[in-house]
Amino acid sequence: MQININNLSFAYGAKTIISNLSLTLNSGDYLVIRGKNGSGKSTFIKCLLGFNLVKSGMIFYDKVDITSFKSWTKFGYVSQNFDDFNYEFPITVGEVLQISSLKKNSESNRLRLLEKMGIFDIINQNINSLSGGQLQRVFIVRAMLNSPEVLILDEPTASIDKQNKEFFYSTVEELHQEGITIILITHNDDIEELNYTHLLSMYSDLTTSYEERGVELTEGVL
Amino acid sequence: MFLSFITDLFQQDFMLRALIAGIMLGVLAPLLGTFVVVRRLSFIADTLGHFSLVGISVSLFLSSIGVAAFFDKPLYLGIIFSVIGGLLVELFRRSYNNFQEISMVIVISLGAALSAIFFSLSKKTGSLYNYLFGSILTVTNYYIILILVTAAIVALLFILFGKQILAVSFDESSAKFLGINVNLFQIVFIIMLSIVVSVLLESAGVLLISSMMVIPVAAGMKLGWSYKSTLIISIIFSELSVFFGLWLSYSLNIPSGAAIVSINIVILLFVAIIKRIILKSRISKMDKLQ
Repeated sequence: MQININNLSFAYGAKTIISNLSLTLNSGDYLVIRGKNGSGKSTFIKCLLGFNLVKSGMIFYDKVDITSFKSWTKFGYVSQNFDDFNYEFPITVGEVLQISSLKKNSESNRLRLLEKMGIFDIINQNINSLSGGQLQRVFIVRAMLNSPEVLILDEPTASIDKQNKEFFYSTVEELHQEGITIILITHNDDIEELNYTHLLSMYSDLTTSYEERGVELTEGVL
Repeated sequence: MFLSFITDLFQQDFMLRALIAGIMLGVLAPLLGTFVVVRRLSFIADTLGHFSLVGISVSLFLSSIGVAAFFDKPLYLGIIFSVIGGLLVELFRRSYNNFQEISMVIVISLGAALSAIFFSLSKKTGSLYNYLFGSILTVTNYYIILILVTAAIVALLFILFGKQILAVSFDESSAKFLGINVNLFQIVFIIMLSIVVSVLLESAGVLLISSMMVIPVAAGMKLGWSYKSTLIISIIFSELSVFFGLWLSYSLNIPSGAAIVSINIVILLFVAIIKRIILKSRISKMDKLQ
């Protein structure tokens, strides 16, 4: 899937968060979005996912304007701290995955992903008894269940230990190798070891820089 | 006393009807209640109940001025108004996305105000007590059929769309990535809930509907380890409340809805205390091992 961002601007009321951001992502790219808290990273993702409504002509998926885009199953999304999911009500890992796999052919995919993420043995556990690392693996499996073309991960390593962090990055790398387009948000600066293809840096003064690894392409200033 | 209750349960028609109605509502209320709790909308049943009451009061008013026919069964308009109330909650919920409880306060206030006005105009304020507190002991065969039809509709919706409704309830924002039409399922759910609340109104009353839906689930959550187990435990608690509530109502001659809800609360307290004791004993065992 090709993603075109064309002079994207977004404001909450009178407060501008994103200003004139443009970039293009092609199928199989690995974009890291880096920036400190308040730099607009999550707002940008919410625009990409249609949670924040943007004007027509700013975001295109395979040349379809986001305002008329319907094929959201092409996206897998893991939110920051998984806080959109009510995991305080008792529900097992298996049940979470069951209600999230609406395609009939996703059973074999589910087993493969559980194996890959090393969480086969916690399938019957209540998700509110899991550690941050386990919870993250469950939500990655959930996002991958319906074989999305683009996987978006919002601050995925914020609440996990070093060992889980390494496992997470190697899993993302494997998914990227399988041809999935990755969009990863982080506030960390130690991203050099990541095998990304594109880097978008966002700053709280609304400036951004976008570069293909090795070649700086564009720079935006308000 | 208990034996005569059991005997009467099967010999007295009104008792048998109450038991049948209670058993069906004992499943329906916590089934919908789990979704309501998952979505953190525990007050929604109260809200819909108040709006259903508007329909009943309008029906009584129209019948008092001679417009009878359709309005001789106030529950019909009650169901229609409950659905309208549900759609209003959904509408306001979208405008106050981060303050969803505001939507319920608006609708509940409007419901209470309009009910008071139409009950007063109908000059049938005497019947208000029954609608506020309900009475499962006075239900008719017609009401039993109504619950059966409601249960069949709910069962059909769950067979067809249970997975989607659960997915939207647990995580509304991510449901669209599963190919779910979130808006459609929100509306299907709210209509289903509105109908169940209206039907519950006659036996549980406006003020006790929420209790029948939410309290068994609150107790079930203390013991459940999965969604399925929590739902089954909630239904068992709900059925126990109905049975012993009816017994209490029969023995002490007190309102049945109030008796059922009181038993619900007793079960919740019992479960909470037992769970606390078990947790404390586990912690002390672990301390000893260390």
